[in-house]
Amino acid sequence: MRVAFTAVILCAAAFYTYWAFAELSFLSSAGRLGPGFFPRIIGVALIIGCVLTLAGDLRTREGDAVSSYWRITVVVASLSAVLILALSVLGGPLAMGLYMLGTLSVLNRGKVLQNVAVSVGLPIVLFLLFDVWLNASMPSGILGLSR
Amino acid sequence: MDLFADLWLGMSVALTPTNLLFLMIGAMVGMIVGIIPGFGPSAGIAILMPLTFGMDPIGAVVMLAAIYYAAMYGGTITSILLNTPGESATVASTFDGYPLAQQGRAGPALVMAALASFVGGTIGVVLITLLAPLFSQVARGFGPPEYFLLAMMGLLCLVVMVGSDWRYGVISGLIGFALGTVGVDLETGQQRFTFGSAELIDGIDFIPIAIGLFGLGELFYAFYEGRHASGSGGIVQYQEERRFWPEVRDWIETRVTLARGSLIGFVIGVIPGAGATIASLLSYSIEKSVAKQPERFGKGVMAGLVGPEAANNAASAGAMVPLLTLGIPGSASTAVLLAAFLLWGLRPGPLLMSQNPEFAWGLIASMYLGNLALVLLNIFAIPVFVAMLRVPYRILAPAVIVLCAIGTYSVNGSIIETWLMFIAGIVGFFMKLFGFSPAAVVLALVLGPLAEEALRQTLTISRGSFAIFIQRPVSIWIVAITLAILLTAPLLRRFQSRAA
Repeated sequence: MRVAFTAVILCAAAFYTYWAFAELSFLSSAGRLGPGFFPRIIGVALIIGCVLTLAGDLRTREGDAVSSYWRITVVVASLSAVLILALSVLGGPLAMGLYMLGTLSVLNRGKVLQNVAVSVGLPIVLFLLFDVWLNASMPSGILGLSR
Repeated sequence: MDLFADLWLGMSVALTPTNLLFLMIGAMVGMIVGIIPGFGPSAGIAILMPLTFGMDPIGAVVMLAAIYYAAMYGGTITSILLNTPGESATVASTFDGYPLAQQGRAGPALVMAALASFVGGTIGVVLITLLAPLFSQVARGFGPPEYFLLAMMGLLCLVVMVGSDWRYGVISGLIGFALGTVGVDLETGQQRFTFGSAELIDGIDFIPIAIGLFGLGELFYAFYEGRHASGSGGIVQYQEERRFWPEVRDWIETRVTLARGSLIGFVIGVIPGAGATIASLLSYSIEKSVAKQPERFGKGVMAGLVGPEAANNAASAGAMVPLLTLGIPGSASTAVLLAAFLLWGLRPGPLLMSQNPEFAWGLIASMYLGNLALVLLNIFAIPVFVAMLRVPYRILAPAVIVLCAIGTYSVNGSIIETWLMFIAGIVGFFMKLFGFSPAAVVLALVLGPLAEEALRQTLTISRGSFAIFIQRPVSIWIVAITLAILLTAPLLRRFQSRAA
């Protein structure tokens, strides 16, 4: 898994470096160091770092032990993505309430009353904090359920 | 006399009712951040930064700085009562703190830890007061070569000293530098890596990245470790103890430890990259090596708790010196603080103390008051924080995820930045899982533009010659100090592993 992660970074680094060499000039029109100077150094260093690390990891390759909690981590991460999606559709308070209800029904099973209380209470507190007290923008959503 | 006049000015700023209120809020929030295991001050400051946007700049920074140093106090409570460090810098406090609690001495341990934190923090602030003006004076002679070297020193030290493998740290730092190059090149006006997106013209915003890497990434990792499945059943019931206050022998036994821990902590704190974790472990290791009965360490010795506590608080104060006087953060937490300063239009550096004395001295004065408030909170509000410890992680974590999302959105009202925060969270999770360093990414993201600008200016001055870095006396000193730190890093790491 670590090898795969480093390989992904290597691919991104290769693309970054290609772009730095192909699209960004080393010198500016005034003859000074241009916008491509620093990215080229960073890109090349990143590729060298990733290749050396990959080579080292492949030599001493050990099996990655996977936690038994990986499923719940995926569920929480997916629900967090749904929260962000819901923020832009349903607006802040409703999305927060539904997210809390959904997540707590998975993590805190059997405690319906507690889950409902937290799911209603938290959005109200955050709405009052951000929207009313701090006057910060809260997503209103396509449905416009928040102001 | 100037020093007292400056401090007096600072006190007059810090003692306004509004700033005192923000200081207290910051202290409380920092304590809470500290007691949540796996949730450090970097995450706390990053997540709460959006809340400060409607506030007065000095009040906002006073509050965010209070979160930073209060987290050290909070992390100790879980170390002593739960054998779980709330913060990496309080790992050493579990070695003797928890055994003391098991022996029925949780009360004295909590009080002594709070007082040691107070002494360490206050000695640290006194040393900031004395040394910061001197540092500023010296730094006024710095030019682009010195600033580039300082930025590299901060990052290199962090990479070498923190994390299991320096190779992953280097890659992490380079990723941060790469992210820092996105946006318009300020010298030529050319767009870099924006791919036609208007959202990227101003560069990658620091807040979504910091909240994602430190906040969301840490939370996902906590789920992966199964923290949500563990209850809060292991808390030591200190209320049932016969004696809450320490005995006279506790004071006598630890008086030298207090001073030693504070000084070690401050010196380590000033070194970029070293930080409070190394300071506390080093202090523990030294106390053990100078003790008459080292075999008692790990079984409930007050000196084994007091030394690391004084050290980690003094270190967090020490880390403010390079931040305030050079504008160079030495850790992830101070990098987040630097970002907060910049957001408020305050540029830390040699001129900060002369150009913005109200801010600089107000912040320093607030640290004296903050430490005083925190020692009282730590002794008299322990039941409140213990009650918070009983909130199950499975309820707390989703609430913090909501706060991360809403906090990120509220900065610019941008759902794209909220998605960026989510992606940073996923990346942060994998980085933590595979031993990479999210702290190095954030530090490099903050230092990257500064380092690039300084490097380009330096090479323009020297007409492309890198020899300039070893031609100027100050540059030579910085190179020498960096090399010395890098060479002593293995020694510090050995101390760290010996203590652990």
